[in-house]
Amino acid sequence: MNPRRSILLVAARDFKERVTSRAFQLSTGITVLFVVALIVVPAIFFDDEAPRWEVGFVGEVPAGFAMAVETASGNAATVEVSQYALRSDAEAALEEGEVEIAVDADGQILVGSDTENRVQSAVLAGLAGISMADRADELGIDVNEISDLLTGGYEIESIVPESEESNESNRVFAFFVTVVLFMSIVTYGSWILIGVIEEKTNRVVEVVLGTLRPHQLLAGKVLGIGVLGVAQVVVIGIITLILLPIQDAFEVPSAAGSVLAWALVWYVLGFAFYAVAYAAAGSLVSRQEEAQNAAFPLTMMLMAAYFIASFSIAGENPILRAASLLPMFAPMTMPLRIAGGDAATWEIVVSLTLMVVTTYGLIRLAGRVYAGGLLQGAGRVKWREAFRASDA
Amino acid sequence: MLEIDQLHKAYGDVIALDGCSFRVTRGQLLGFLGPNGSGKTTTMRSVFSLVQPDRGTVRWNGSEIDAETRLRFGYMPEQRGLYPRMKVAAQLTYFGRLHGMSRDHAKTAAGDWLDRLGLTDRADSRLEQLSHGNQQRVQLAAALIHDPELLILDEPFSGLDPIGVEDMMAILLERTARGAAVVFSSHQLDLVEDLCEDVVIIAAGKVVLNGAIRELRARSSHRYLDIEMAGNRNDLARSFGEFEVISSGDGRLRLRVDDTTPLEPLIHRASELGKVRQFAYTPPNLSEVFREVVER
Repeated sequence: MNPRRSILLVAARDFKERVTSRAFQLSTGITVLFVVALIVVPAIFFDDEAPRWEVGFVGEVPAGFAMAVETASGNAATVEVSQYALRSDAEAALEEGEVEIAVDADGQILVGSDTENRVQSAVLAGLAGISMADRADELGIDVNEISDLLTGGYEIESIVPESEESNESNRVFAFFVTVVLFMSIVTYGSWILIGVIEEKTNRVVEVVLGTLRPHQLLAGKVLGIGVLGVAQVVVIGIITLILLPIQDAFEVPSAAGSVLAWALVWYVLGFAFYAVAYAAAGSLVSRQEEAQNAAFPLTMMLMAAYFIASFSIAGENPILRAASLLPMFAPMTMPLRIAGGDAATWEIVVSLTLMVVTTYGLIRLAGRVYAGGLLQGAGRVKWREAFRASDA
Repeated sequence: MLEIDQLHKAYGDVIALDGCSFRVTRGQLLGFLGPNGSGKTTTMRSVFSLVQPDRGTVRWNGSEIDAETRLRFGYMPEQRGLYPRMKVAAQLTYFGRLHGMSRDHAKTAAGDWLDRLGLTDRADSRLEQLSHGNQQRVQLAAALIHDPELLILDEPFSGLDPIGVEDMMAILLERTARGAAVVFSSHQLDLVEDLCEDVVIIAAGKVVLNGAIRELRARSSHRYLDIEMAGNRNDLARSFGEFEVISSGDGRLRLRVDDTTPLEPLIHRASELGKVRQFAYTPPNLSEVFREVVER
């Protein structure tokens, strides 16, 4: 039987058994509910829409008045205009608090005791703008010339180069993917760890290993659980993206297409590397109680990678540079450097090559350790002993 | 034909196999016997490459066993284990497919085995919901699902109730009759003697006896003499004091004698003592042969 078929058979079983398990469905359901709650609840309770200003107007409202006031407020408010036939009606409305401010077309702006200064100045600026445009029109002057006249011809220019600004946003995006990668590895890494130990505890592994090589069993397990994990992340991600627009405050960091592509490449590689490493850790022990001990060095590496990344969002540094070349740190650090435009092509090539080679080597090694660990019987097996015990 | 050829295996200072060799042909049912720790499990695992021997080879039909060949073997390890939460039929199908069967073929075979074991109505139960005995049956089916050419079972009878033992015996005989080579280990020697004609006895990693049970018994340099006298006499042992007394009491006596010991004088001596009810001169049974070679 070809090795790929064995691996796929194992992967399919692990995927199917988990996806149909009550525990998985429950945990997915709870996570989805949690995400939905996290997005929907603040949107309901913290309504941070722009405030509405009610503006009374006596006489004919000039065209574009509401918009002019909104612009003058810096678009911080929406403006609603109520028209009154008599000035006394407008005054009454102002007193009652029905409007915040009122304008008499005869040339007065009526304010009450509750009228905010910013409303006052916005209305004033809005009216000024309209009248200026009208006058300019009458005199046959272009509106743009007026704005030149007012600003003295000055323009605002940023000294921050545009590429650096986008690098900043790219880095934020890359870091966002790193956080997701970190969380996926923490969650699904332990699934793989437990899954591998489970087969030893059930003692089914001896029957299974009569039909395929240990590294095929491990590869299948990592693939099955890995695909399941990634599928869960994708489902939750899609739900998040669908729901996010109802929350105005959140801005999805924008990123260049290449940054997105690289981040995904490193996500997959990083996930594969750590998944295999967790499988290897699981192969060393035969009881669930020992699982966390076996995985401890991995957890430390993972944390280190995460911290290096989080302290380097601002930009390149020597530690980040060194870490981005090492397989255990690269998946969380290299995307940052690529996003920031700091990684040389050779560095990316070296890092990628090391990553793929190490992952493959790790799965062979883990397979060997797995078979060795199995036949050493109960208890924890040292890497070296297990490795020696089997040539599989 | 399976050939185990000069297997050596050491775990540190502990020698598990020390030149273990034997053969089993298709259509042969072989009992693989030996005290605990004598290397039975290590030998069986070597066939499935679960153990890498330090020296020696395992061959099937003359060539070393590769992964492809191994798929045509069936294995029931001593430490039983299947997936507890997996449904019974799905589990059998999975093992069939691991052995290279197509999905449909494996499904059909799983259905047939469940039918045969009377577990059809439990096809969709999780394994852990089955009784202990039924779990054992499923375990056997998992080893047999692909109709293996070579079947290796490590202690298949341990933990079975009398009906389970009978079922297991019937299945092993049937597999053998259908042309499989079958090797099983057991400590229940009476049962082995009833079930098969050939045994291999291993001690300290070496084969110490190999052949047909009948011949091995006859080849022994000892014979057993059972004498039963009328009346509950307790002085029989004294009368045959020069021989090794295995048991005595209530008018019965069991002696171990050399196979060169002439019988007539003993018959005379017995008849002089009183009325002889039974006088039997037999080669050792399998348990006795086992003890003789293992304790040597």
